[in-house]
Amino acid sequence: MSAPEARMSAPRTDLPPPPPRSAGTWLLLAALAALVVASFASLPLQWRAFFTAEAIDSAREFLSGFAPPDTSAPFVRKTFAAFWETLAMSAIGTLLAALAGLPLALAGAGRLGRVARAGTRLVLNVLRSIPELVWAAVLLVLAGLGPMAGTLALAAHTAGVLGRLFADALENVEPHAEQSLRTNGARPLAAFLYATLPQALPQMLSYTLYRWENNIRAAAVLGVVGAGGLGQMLKYHLSLFQMPSAATVVLAMLVLVALVDAASYLLRRALTR
Amino acid sequence: MLELDQLTKSYGGRAVLAGLSHGFKAGEFVAIMGESGVGKSTLLNLIAGLDAPDGGRVIVDGTPMSSLDDDAATRLRRTRMGFIFQAFHVLPHLTLRQNVALPLLLNHASPEPAGAMLDAVGLHGRGEDFPRQLSGGELQRVAIARALVHRPALLLADEPTGNLDPDTANGILQLLRSETRAHGAGAIMVTHSHAAAAMADKVLLLTSSGLKLA
Repeated sequence: MSAPEARMSAPRTDLPPPPPRSAGTWLLLAALAALVVASFASLPLQWRAFFTAEAIDSAREFLSGFAPPDTSAPFVRKTFAAFWETLAMSAIGTLLAALAGLPLALAGAGRLGRVARAGTRLVLNVLRSIPELVWAAVLLVLAGLGPMAGTLALAAHTAGVLGRLFADALENVEPHAEQSLRTNGARPLAAFLYATLPQALPQMLSYTLYRWENNIRAAAVLGVVGAGGLGQMLKYHLSLFQMPSAATVVLAMLVLVALVDAASYLLRRALTR
Repeated sequence: MLELDQLTKSYGGRAVLAGLSHGFKAGEFVAIMGESGVGKSTLLNLIAGLDAPDGGRVIVDGTPMSSLDDDAATRLRRTRMGFIFQAFHVLPHLTLRQNVALPLLLNHASPEPAGAMLDAVGLHGRGEDFPRQLSGGELQRVAIARALVHRPALLLADEPTGNLDPDTANGILQLLRSETRAHGAGAIMVTHSHAAAAMADKVLLLTSSGLKLA
């Protein structure tokens, strides 16, 4: 063995030995393992049922119903219209959420005092704790069936999420730049606009694009409760067992999600470069 | 041009400044030294009107700072004072030219002199660079250019060489000295460094009993 090899294979003596695990740690790990085993044992999971010849035949028969997708021109045109409707719902919902989230974030970041901060954080918690589906159910009663209710449902939930993320982004900005501008005689608004907002903006735009990606998927789900778009078409054709048509809608959803993912990734990369 | 009259300031019941009085002449370069916690940065904040004294007065050009509301104090800082900090505080998303032009824009003046100011501090041709492309010494040069571009009467510097190696610090101090002289500005520099203090016209020692010549 050469000298360098010997040095590399020799045990390192410059690091202290790792701390010994206490008996309590081992007991805790054993208890966690026992809980996992007990969880599986207590549930009536019939793994074998997935792999019986009957189950495999049923699945094959069900899935083969989707092929080939319905590619007739009228249906493709109809799917394309729903595709745009879903895209528009997610884009407008996210835009409205970002517009509402920014002023909420200013108050939520303590820019308007402690009382406003606590009150706004509570409002943001409520907005984002209620899932889009529940918002949609409520708004369908108010706005009727269609994309309007879906768009507003996305906007309400996402405003809660973006408001919180924007507020955290503003609070996490290094404060000295704004303080230094204030010291140099800038008014509070000018110091905020020149120093703090530009530092937080790339992160805020990145959050908004990421939520847009999420809202594409959410918009498709909201369609199931009657809020328009591809989701509504999917529910309709599945409920009538028109599997080729449902397959076309599912493919349109896949294309939409892939396109928005790619666009969002490229935009975020450009913003954070 | 600057008069401190019986200034007192306490934090949590502990007196930091107790009846401090001193006069500063226009164009004078003064270094203030003292132990940590004795109140050097507090004194700079009181002079700038960023903090209010518990008692006594800070008088700038015959005007007591205490008589000014927040807007007027902001305006006074913007037009009559410049600041340099230990950690530079240059805005990362603006070019060097935009950073230096900020005090001019805040004063609704033309940003034109920013380029010449960058030349004066040895950053010729770097106006379109961003702060991330600069070393610590170069960043402090930008801070000096930004502090002097609007021709303030008084420059306040809080440990301006605290983050720099001795050679770079020496270059920055000489630049600070020559540029304040060229602009006819006075300067009050808080420092722990004897080498930095040696560049000043006058060195004052801040102790619990007040300011005295070192």
